[in-house]
Amino acid sequence: MGYKKPSFIENMAEKLGIIPNLHKEGYQKFDGDMRHFTDEEVAQLYENFPPPEKWDNWVEYNPKVWPKKEKKTYQIVPTTCFNCESACGLTAFIDKETQQVKKFEGNPYHPGSRGRNCAKGPATINQITDPDRILFPLKRKGKRGEGEWERISWDEALDTIAARIRKAIKEDRRNEIAYHVGRPGHEKFMNWILQGWGIDGHNSHTNICSSGARFGYNLWYGYDRPSPDHSNAKFILLVSAHLESGHYFNPHAQRIIEGKMKGAKLATMDPRLSNTASMSDYWLPSYPGTEAAVLLAMALIILQKGLYNRDYLENWTNWQEYLEAKHSDKEVTFENYIAAMIEEYKEFTPEYAEKESGVKAKDIIEIAQLIGEAGERFASHNWRAAGASNLGGWAVARCLHFLSVLTGAVGAKGGTSPNSWNKFSPTQPNAPKAQKVWNELHFPKEYPLAFFEMSQLLPHFLKEGRGKMDVYFSRVFNPVWTYPDGFTWMEMFLDESKFGLHTALTPTWNETAFHADFVLPMGLASERHDINSYATHGGTWVAFRQPVLREAARRNGKPVEFTYQANPGEVWEEDEFWIELSWRIDPDGSMGIRKHFESPYRPGEKITIDEYYQYIFERVKGLPEAAKKEGITELQYMQKYGAFEIEKGESYKLNEKPLTEEQLKGTEINPKNNVISKNGKDIGVMVNGKAVVGFPTPSRKNEFYSQTMVDWKWPEYSTPAYIKSHIHNEVLDKTKGEYVLVPTFRLPTLIHSRSGNAKWLVEISNRNPIWMHPDDAAKWGFKTGDLVKMNTDIGYFIDKVWVTQSMKPGVVACSHHIGRWRRPQDKIGNRWATNTVNIEGDGNGGWKMNTISGIKPFESEDKDSKRIFWKDGGVHQNITHAVHPDPISGMHCWHQRVRIEKPSEGENYGDIFVDTNKSHEVYKEWLSWTRPAPGPNGERRPLWFKRAFKPDESTYYIDKKK
Amino acid sequence: MKYGFIIDNRKCIGCHACTTACKSEHDVAVGVNRTYVKQIEKGEFPDTRRIFSVMRCNHCTDAPCVEICPVEALYTREDGIVDFDNNRCIGCKSCMQACPYDALYIDPDNNTAAKCNYCSHRIEVGREPACVTVCPEHAIIAGDMENPTTEISQLLARQAVKVRKPEKGTNPNLFYIDGDDASLVPEATDKSGPSLWNSQARGVGHFAKSAEKMMHTNGDVDLLQMTIDNDIQAAYQKKETENPNYIDVLTGKARRVYDTPDKGILWGWEVSTYVFTKAIAAGAFLIPFLAIMLGYEVSTTAKLWSAGISLTFLALTGLFLVMDLDRPDRFLNVLLRPQWNSWLVKGGYTITVFGLLVTVWGAMSFFNIKQGETILLWVTAIFAILLAIYTAFLFAQAKGRDFWQSPTLPLHMLVHSVMAGTAIFVITSLIFGNESWMSILKNTMIIALVVNLFTLVTELTITHPTTAAKTVVKMITKGRYKNLFWMITVLIGNLIPLALMFFGTGELVLVASAICVLIGILITEKIWVEAPQRIPLA
Repeated sequence: MGYKKPSFIENMAEKLGIIPNLHKEGYQKFDGDMRHFTDEEVAQLYENFPPPEKWDNWVEYNPKVWPKKEKKTYQIVPTTCFNCESACGLTAFIDKETQQVKKFEGNPYHPGSRGRNCAKGPATINQITDPDRILFPLKRKGKRGEGEWERISWDEALDTIAARIRKAIKEDRRNEIAYHVGRPGHEKFMNWILQGWGIDGHNSHTNICSSGARFGYNLWYGYDRPSPDHSNAKFILLVSAHLESGHYFNPHAQRIIEGKMKGAKLATMDPRLSNTASMSDYWLPSYPGTEAAVLLAMALIILQKGLYNRDYLENWTNWQEYLEAKHSDKEVTFENYIAAMIEEYKEFTPEYAEKESGVKAKDIIEIAQLIGEAGERFASHNWRAAGASNLGGWAVARCLHFLSVLTGAVGAKGGTSPNSWNKFSPTQPNAPKAQKVWNELHFPKEYPLAFFEMSQLLPHFLKEGRGKMDVYFSRVFNPVWTYPDGFTWMEMFLDESKFGLHTALTPTWNETAFHADFVLPMGLASERHDINSYATHGGTWVAFRQPVLREAARRNGKPVEFTYQANPGEVWEEDEFWIELSWRIDPDGSMGIRKHFESPYRPGEKITIDEYYQYIFERVKGLPEAAKKEGITELQYMQKYGAFEIEKGESYKLNEKPLTEEQLKGTEINPKNNVISKNGKDIGVMVNGKAVVGFPTPSRKNEFYSQTMVDWKWPEYSTPAYIKSHIHNEVLDKTKGEYVLVPTFRLPTLIHSRSGNAKWLVEISNRNPIWMHPDDAAKWGFKTGDLVKMNTDIGYFIDKVWVTQSMKPGVVACSHHIGRWRRPQDKIGNRWATNTVNIEGDGNGGWKMNTISGIKPFESEDKDSKRIFWKDGGVHQNITHAVHPDPISGMHCWHQRVRIEKPSEGENYGDIFVDTNKSHEVYKEWLSWTRPAPGPNGERRPLWFKRAFKPDESTYYIDKKK
Repeated sequence: MKYGFIIDNRKCIGCHACTTACKSEHDVAVGVNRTYVKQIEKGEFPDTRRIFSVMRCNHCTDAPCVEICPVEALYTREDGIVDFDNNRCIGCKSCMQACPYDALYIDPDNNTAAKCNYCSHRIEVGREPACVTVCPEHAIIAGDMENPTTEISQLLARQAVKVRKPEKGTNPNLFYIDGDDASLVPEATDKSGPSLWNSQARGVGHFAKSAEKMMHTNGDVDLLQMTIDNDIQAAYQKKETENPNYIDVLTGKARRVYDTPDKGILWGWEVSTYVFTKAIAAGAFLIPFLAIMLGYEVSTTAKLWSAGISLTFLALTGLFLVMDLDRPDRFLNVLLRPQWNSWLVKGGYTITVFGLLVTVWGAMSFFNIKQGETILLWVTAIFAILLAIYTAFLFAQAKGRDFWQSPTLPLHMLVHSVMAGTAIFVITSLIFGNESWMSILKNTMIIALVVNLFTLVTELTITHPTTAAKTVVKMITKGRYKNLFWMITVLIGNLIPLALMFFGTGELVLVASAICVLIGILITEKIWVEAPQRIPLA
């Protein structure tokens, strides 16, 4: 189907050679055999993805020269996205001629993302070809942070680091070795490594991310993440923005809309009009930190109107324990339970909730009714948002789950399951035992209940002299920029007595890597191995991230030994790096480390990456059969399809799974609470005369009443409660221009500080003005575009105002992601997205940053770098935030009390000031609100609580250790 | 078979995946887009909404871009897809004036027009467009609208749908379920400076080249001023606080929060100047022709001057036309790969034929050959009139620009030619001497000016059917062009010469009037070409 035949004139002119001949053979005619699908398939069009049997030789027309019919042959290799945590399926289209990845599409065999992606999926190709990417291992020249680098070999990096680790372990300074991770997502690989080294060396970003919600969920049912079954729901309530961000944005967004199209109603609680709120049937613009009050008001209505699920409450909550503990005067009957709950929450009338939150009482009543009517088909989610922003933010998830409990939606079809029910956990070769050390720089005594490492306090701990980090790895982790109080991080990074050797493992430059000793380039989505499994819906899957050029080389009969041999430059991947490093730490095996990293198939020899994954995939339920059917190994199956569906949406109500007779042998039943135990370990519970698994809590049920909270000195929170936030209206002096700043929200196009290397994403979003309601703007004399000085507890930043009807009055907001920077000495690094800034410290804790220039076009091998049409690179706000660790969950409470004012003469857009002495004071103030360990039996942490990289039980007892 | 798109706004979450998937598939340059998601907000807190509209080529059944394209670079396939071939494109940008949807852009990689082509290279192998594949919500539905088994035809049968600008008669094949006029109608919201998340400081597309050239001059100079001359520049120059969008926020009126960078004014001074030189070229022939027809004796010298002036300004016209092309190297395509419905082609041939005829006439005059002169003069006159007015038909083909759809535009251009012709003879006669036939010049000029004022009044006062045209009129008479318009077009270009000729006498008065008239024409054409391009199409 080309254009018309040439006219007489054109024909003559072409024949005479006056103009190029565009009618030569092959120019406009296409081959009939190029159609890969039947007429019916073409009529349907949708999901005509290349069939796997053609993946090694897929022919399409080259769009760049179209309508010239030039064939392009691709090899299609699946992998998973490395932008947000969702790990959606991608397929790399590798040009067979050039052996370069040409584009990324979705992977229809990925059960989470189902062949579809968000904007960040296709933009992966930008990250691969970013002219500013780091292609070789680098070592700093000059002082740390000076910005001078030299290329080194992987051997030099490995040997230097290994020697230092070996020395620390031999000198029993195990707690001076740590791996600090931003983007995780390789399912237990690091447990294998770090526990193999015998260190308690894992530090995460979770406390600035999701540990608040995790804590709230965990208190109820021993699982720390929800897995809402949106597509089967009748009512969906989000304290999140899952139509644009969050875990797991694309998979969840697909299913929320699917549910909506099937008739579900959607309500979203958010002080600003997120895209999600905009798509909702109900937008509930709650005042930040009051979400729990609204949720409790809904709970009260459900209780009062009798809309609750009686069976579920009776069988699956620990109400007897609650009545005995808190209402010992009353008879233990179900009716008394309901009455007691109504009594307990009587103050949470819709009117009270409206007064607290600003959400209309009428909406609260209407939604509570709809939730009650939806019953088990009530899906809900809180991940970050309110849970990550407020003192007591963990109570939001707790109160939200309360609604799921009341309706019986926990684990129901169309309800909300624990994420672990929809998540695969691998079995690893030569798995090491739990470490016998406890690192108090990660889990200090002050925060016995902290759900994850107190990572945001690390620089303050170091400042106080609680310890040092002799060997520190930051892995796709950028605390200088992303964390609150980045200047304190910078101070500590610049002090070699605090951070001995800092190695940044990262695919792209970032503000933290500028302060490293080694910068080691690690692969992006299509350049590394990982396995992923996430609770995206009522089903379970495992996906395989793989270096696609390496896999293509293997298929083409030219296998390589190490991934960096196939990747661009010498970009490597962590998996092989860690195995290699582990062997170099313990080359002769005398330290007991090497043995964990030996091949399970070739005793005594180093495990290969293929062996590691083959070992795991052999143990995935159903995968050996699927592989056998195709006559390939389990690993080859995953290399081919990139994902495997382990279980398809039937894992509901797993708490009701009966214990097998085998399991029941030798068990005891606790007469008080019917909990079944075996060899001192709880394994189930008797419900209605049946022995079932239950939940992993002390009562094996949903714990409306938490004895744990009582035992650990927080009796006031023994039941779901509303905790007034640190930015509650009462604590703000509105007459002085004090506001709450919502600094957390994300855009669908960006991902923290990892997407500054994607030009198509930065092109869409590159500035971050302050959202302000017109009334507030008028009150303080601001108009859109005016500069505003945002004074935090420890300093200020100067941004521009964006007056909008999408912001709740009395609240201001500023998006995350934007305001990236580099210093004049950092010649390259995310130049699509970075302002050039000048940083000055006064040597006494005072730090100034100002913008020298905005984003500029630059010369590079990418023609687009000269076409940068934007200049405004936004402002870095997090660096002006103080640390606010919740005294219970440990979660950083992101919301900031700010005083807004007009900047004075001489102050400019992008100016930043911070006093780190003040930030240390704020740290101490929040620290003083904690109620430190020990708890019962001298424990440092409740034994039943999950912990990342859980150490040996012996380390849990503070005294014994001494 | 007929392919179309549905954008299902019940599902679209505004994630921009379609945008990046398209960029990836086609390697679309930074700054320009084949598809994007316009975002507007409306209402007052808390009754506020953000509306997402996927914008792209509508694959119109009666595609104005195909009709105006001089070289068949844009064409409609048998399956309804409007595709393009950048090997033919000459970069004349007329498609960008014709498309009412702002779907096209100049690809800075090869300086040719480009747009969504429905991923026809994928359609050929049986796959759907890249945006459809990627969309997390399946909110973009592609398929054959004539096959009742396809999802798209079923949705079209069952759902209420909307198209953009149905009044344009283009018959778009992109339909919106739950489309909102606040977003689909460009005039419903004002174009402003920085959007919520992005901002523009430099030119894109056609202007990317000039932006690149200046990248090393001084990074902090706002290069926009030098590269794009349009409203968005004004919006930046104004404080953001004076932006219309800001005002709309306060009243709850719909306002844009995300938009792609402005592509700028694509037909610049080259085009308005070519209209001016073309008027002189035609007029320089028509005036002596008129004299001859009225029975005056026109000397050979005057004839040679006529032919000479005509050919000189015709050459300048050609030069400006070629200079305006983003692919000047391909200018011959207009004649050699002609698409006969395009007025650019008709115009190109008119210029060529007129040039030949005038050359022949000049040669005949030079060699004093009288035989057949009358016929030649008549034929040439027809081409001269065509030359004078064809641009009006070209502008009328530019369906995106409502103001150019005026029925008096041909008259406007013809009168300008007559005015220009008289003026040029008034001036050049100073050199080659007065002749008796030149007595008609003054009266011709007066009559032409009166007619010109009449067309001016008509074009600006006749009730305009669309807001876009009305806005242009406002822009000319009361807005940013008011000084140029009232001072130069009206006063210097028309009223002063009229007054001079009524009340004054003598050669100098006539010469002064002639100069005024020429300045008036040049500026009027500048306003007429530029102003309508300031109206956002999307």
